[in-house]
Amino acid sequence: MTYFSFVRAEFLVLWRRKQDVLNALLFFVIVVVLFPIGIDSSSEFLTPAASGIIWCATVLAVLMAVDSLFKEDYRDGSLEQLVVCGLSLPLLILLKVIAQWLAVILPLLVIMPLLGEMLYLSSASLWALMVTLLVGSPSLFFMGVIGAALTVSIKQGAILVMLLILPFYLPVIIFSTLAVKAAQAGLPYSGFLAMLLAMSLLSLVLSPFMTAIAVKASVN
Amino acid sequence: MRWVWFHKLASPKWFYSWSNFWALPVFCFGCLCLAIGLVWGLAFAPEDYQQGNSFRIIYIHVPVAMLAQSCYLALGVASFVFLVWQMKMAPIFIKAMAPIGAVMALIALVSGAIWGKPTWGTWWVWDARLTSVLVLFFLYMGIIALQSALDDLVLANKAAAVISVVGLINLPIIKYSVVLLETLHQGPTFTLTKKPEMPPEMWLPLLCAVIGLYSFVAGLVLWRMQSEILMREHRSSWVKQEVMENGL
Amino acid sequence: MHSFASLTVSDLWIERAERDLCKGLSFSVQSGDVVRILGENGAGKSSLLKVIVGILSPLQGQIVYSGEDVTVDRRFLQQDVIYLGHSSGIKPQLTVIENLRWYCPDASPSALHEVLESLELIDHIDVPVKKLSAGQARRVALSRLWLGKKTLWLLDEPFASLDVRGVELLEACIRQHASVGGLVLLTTHQDLPSLSTRDVALLS
Repeated sequence: MTYFSFVRAEFLVLWRRKQDVLNALLFFVIVVVLFPIGIDSSSEFLTPAASGIIWCATVLAVLMAVDSLFKEDYRDGSLEQLVVCGLSLPLLILLKVIAQWLAVILPLLVIMPLLGEMLYLSSASLWALMVTLLVGSPSLFFMGVIGAALTVSIKQGAILVMLLILPFYLPVIIFSTLAVKAAQAGLPYSGFLAMLLAMSLLSLVLSPFMTAIAVKASVN
Repeated sequence: MRWVWFHKLASPKWFYSWSNFWALPVFCFGCLCLAIGLVWGLAFAPEDYQQGNSFRIIYIHVPVAMLAQSCYLALGVASFVFLVWQMKMAPIFIKAMAPIGAVMALIALVSGAIWGKPTWGTWWVWDARLTSVLVLFFLYMGIIALQSALDDLVLANKAAAVISVVGLINLPIIKYSVVLLETLHQGPTFTLTKKPEMPPEMWLPLLCAVIGLYSFVAGLVLWRMQSEILMREHRSSWVKQEVMENGL
Repeated sequence: MHSFASLTVSDLWIERAERDLCKGLSFSVQSGDVVRILGENGAGKSSLLKVIVGILSPLQGQIVYSGEDVTVDRRFLQQDVIYLGHSSGIKPQLTVIENLRWYCPDASPSALHEVLESLELIDHIDVPVKKLSAGQARRVALSRLWLGKKTLWLLDEPFASLDVRGVELLEACIRQHASVGGLVLLTTHQDLPSLSTRDVALLS
């Protein structure tokens, strides 16, 4: 196994399981639709709430996607093979997470203008929202993957992952919604973006090592 | 030579006999201080000129809130020690500490709410410190849930340690982020750098209660660790001997 | 030919789920050996292989591979090992050829073709593994042995779910590997008359 052949196999598996990615996307859209229907469909409510709604839905969809990241590999034994293949496990995990991030976040960004229209977002704040998603979502994946690796040996681990990881997502949600609110008020929001970027970078550095510890403990 | 105590801490047997000696005195000292602090604070300390008698819940709320945070700090440090040096006592400490921390966070939330009703006119405010204590409570519950969900002891140890360390790194960020949201709460009651603004007859009982609660929890944790040691080491000869000689 | 390799395990203690599996196990094997690990169910055969490859950690003991102490960091051993556990590590969504390209990216197309031919998988080359039978999937996993070019093989029940023909093929493959200086450790309850094996017994 080489890093290159690993990445190629990862993308192949993602392509074969495109239905899962599509499901996560549909889940995301449905959660977003719940808010106008359940609370208030007027633009007075939706415009200020849109960034919060989209981020909450994103967080849930990401956790659903991340939870399944190691499940299959654990079952078919390929997770074990990653541990013993002699390559650096943190690096393999990093590559795996990046592949998953691309597969989930890129489609999400593509449908974002549509949702922005449905939630009456102005184009300036939609732009800000998409930038926060691009910059902030890596940290969601990197933190979530730790929880996924810890619970991979439990059959019904999804709720536990939510309980473990959702508290860690609060800062990302707060910084992102503040950024979009600033954009809506016509204020500069680069400071919030810098915070999001810092969180993503910090989790990018730390998470693969933590996840590697968790994976090693899980495959025994 | 200097590290001898550190290595000794790693031995359950040594720790057991050491804590056998210390647990009771520490616990009793804690109870005594706590009792003095609470009776003094609740019955004899002067009334606050703004908040009247309702401020007295400070003698419960502040020590408990401090403990809730300190417990997590201790958890995080122990977890780090475990992940780096594989120290055998660290997961036992984590197992013993997490539920106590969760209870402390819960009491802090409840007492805060009771305090909030007369002072702010509402049970709950989305204020920075309230929210972060709520998050802290979730973090504790996450650790407990994870430990109980994993059957394999080795995995449960590692998992709890990993999630506590991640929590410890995240907690300052969470705190900073919720501070960015609105803040209604009054400033910290105790600071190390400034002289307290309260009169001494108000803050002395508080100090007493804080010290008492720390010591109370320390004793409690020692006992919980002892029983956890007995459970985990039940196959070793010294445990059998210990139980035969001294009973449980 | 493989360069000379040896594996020395000394005073190995393994604990799983509150049970002692090995108490001070020591053995030494080298190039050309085929070692059968014997023991009752639950005696710790699989755990021993997992400890050697680095999935589990021993309580104490030392593992030396080709002169290098790998007790703490197994990287050196892992670069020269093929480990096949109970679950084969074959991704069911990928086809036979994609799985092999993942594990053995260096294998030439002709070598791949030859191995798949001899394992009777050549007709299923573009079929996702989830559509194959258990025995066929097992053969896919085993084909790594022909293609991998690693010295040390750690095989956990390699004969499980193989038919007579599959067993013959695998025995021949192991014999061939040992004759060119390979080193094989395997767990099985099967007698292997065609292989001259050494036995390591685990007492429970």
